[in-house]
Amino acid sequence: MNENAVVIKLRDFMNSPEGWGRDQGREVHRRLIDFVEANPGVMIFKVSLEGVERVDISFASETVVELARRYRGSKGFCFIDIDDPDMVENWDAAASRKDQPIMVWEKGKGRVLGVAPSQGNLAAFKFALGRPRTRAAEFAIAEEKMTIANASTKFKQLCEQGFLLRRDDVAESGGVEYVYSRIG
Amino acid sequence: MICQINFPSEWINASALEKALRGDREPHGKNSYEVRFLFPVGCKIMVDAAVRLLSLINQLDYCSRRVRLEFEEGEIGTMGYLNRMGFFDCLSKNVDVLPGWPTYSGASMYGGSNTRLVEIARISPEARDLTLPTRLADAVVRSRKRRKGTRGIKWAAWTIFAELIDNIFSHSQTPLDGYAALQVYPKGESIMVAVSDSGLGIMETLRPALATESPARNRLSDIDLLVEIFREGISRHGTGRGCGLKGSAAKAIKYNADLDVRLPMNRVLLVPGQEGYRPNTAYCYANLPLVWGTHICFTFHLA
Repeated sequence: MNENAVVIKLRDFMNSPEGWGRDQGREVHRRLIDFVEANPGVMIFKVSLEGVERVDISFASETVVELARRYRGSKGFCFIDIDDPDMVENWDAAASRKDQPIMVWEKGKGRVLGVAPSQGNLAAFKFALGRPRTRAAEFAIAEEKMTIANASTKFKQLCEQGFLLRRDDVAESGGVEYVYSRIG
Repeated sequence: MICQINFPSEWINASALEKALRGDREPHGKNSYEVRFLFPVGCKIMVDAAVRLLSLINQLDYCSRRVRLEFEEGEIGTMGYLNRMGFFDCLSKNVDVLPGWPTYSGASMYGGSNTRLVEIARISPEARDLTLPTRLADAVVRSRKRRKGTRGIKWAAWTIFAELIDNIFSHSQTPLDGYAALQVYPKGESIMVAVSDSGLGIMETLRPALATESPARNRLSDIDLLVEIFREGISRHGTGRGCGLKGSAAKAIKYNADLDVRLPMNRVLLVPGQEGYRPNTAYCYANLPLVWGTHICFTFHLA
């Protein structure tokens, strides 16, 4: 569990249980931004889809997906309480269109919508998914023939592409070391 | 000059409509000051043709042409079906109708009671009906009577309607209404979903942006570019937008739906393929009589 996370219910930002179209999407997007900006210390927002009956791809694209894209690298957004495969499909299509990965968590297991990590970074991503926080050095130890420099590069790419978040921390040596966290 | 369009005594779908419009007939031609549409005994208009015809007739009226519809059978024939569909509720009141305008609206009287059709809905820039995609999708469910797989197809229908109709609001730039309708065909095994607008057309809204951002794509023919739009989701607003048509296509392909797209002067039928929709090359038409706007019909095959 990431302590720096807040749950928000998308339905609270919508006028009705159905999200339809770009205009509605932009309106909801504005409200979401206001909320995010009002919670500056929070890094991860878990978006509950409880009460949302349907969204079309345009609405999905303009709301949470755009939000994730806007804050990529500094804040993360993921889905919880989503049990409708058709709904997931539309969010997936929207995320794919914007080239923005978004995590969805179901029964403690996470998977990513929209974009998949490259083949070369996949192991690093799965490693990070298995724990709330990780450092490059931990992955280098766990993975055969992996150097810290190589691991660092992979995690950095995953962060830049929107799969992970990171923050600065102090290394044992006294220098800066990044701590990477999964989103959710 | 009077431009006269004679329909044959048979089922008229979009293809048959185009056939009737062919020849020297140019309803929007500069010499056509009056346009007449003749519906003989035995002529039966299907929903895809009805919605396109409605757009075309209202366009002609908008540019001050006289328009006349002659129904040989009167209300017992296809005029009655069109009335039931709400055609006359959406038709410009300037249009002459023989033997006469219906005395009551069939759609208002019976609306919603037939599980196999959804009356023509107006898509008006002035008043956005937020319930429209849901009503259309609900009709799909009613028509299938709790059959397996209905939930999935309701979602697909809802998404397709939502995307296509939102496109009309966002892009079409016209004061004329757009229209959407749905018809389920015998035994619920196929569903026709038709959406029509009288705007600029996809190409006219897209090409100016492509000219600067993607000149290679701009050099594609209308038909090839259309396939790209449905496959890749190109938008005039650049990457990140334009997911609507591609998303609709992705949903429709799951149900093996055929896709019929009429542009101002082209028409293409797309069929589901491995990589998404591909043109059914036997059915690509260019240099058709001008009809403003974009007219899309998905036909789902559920059997």
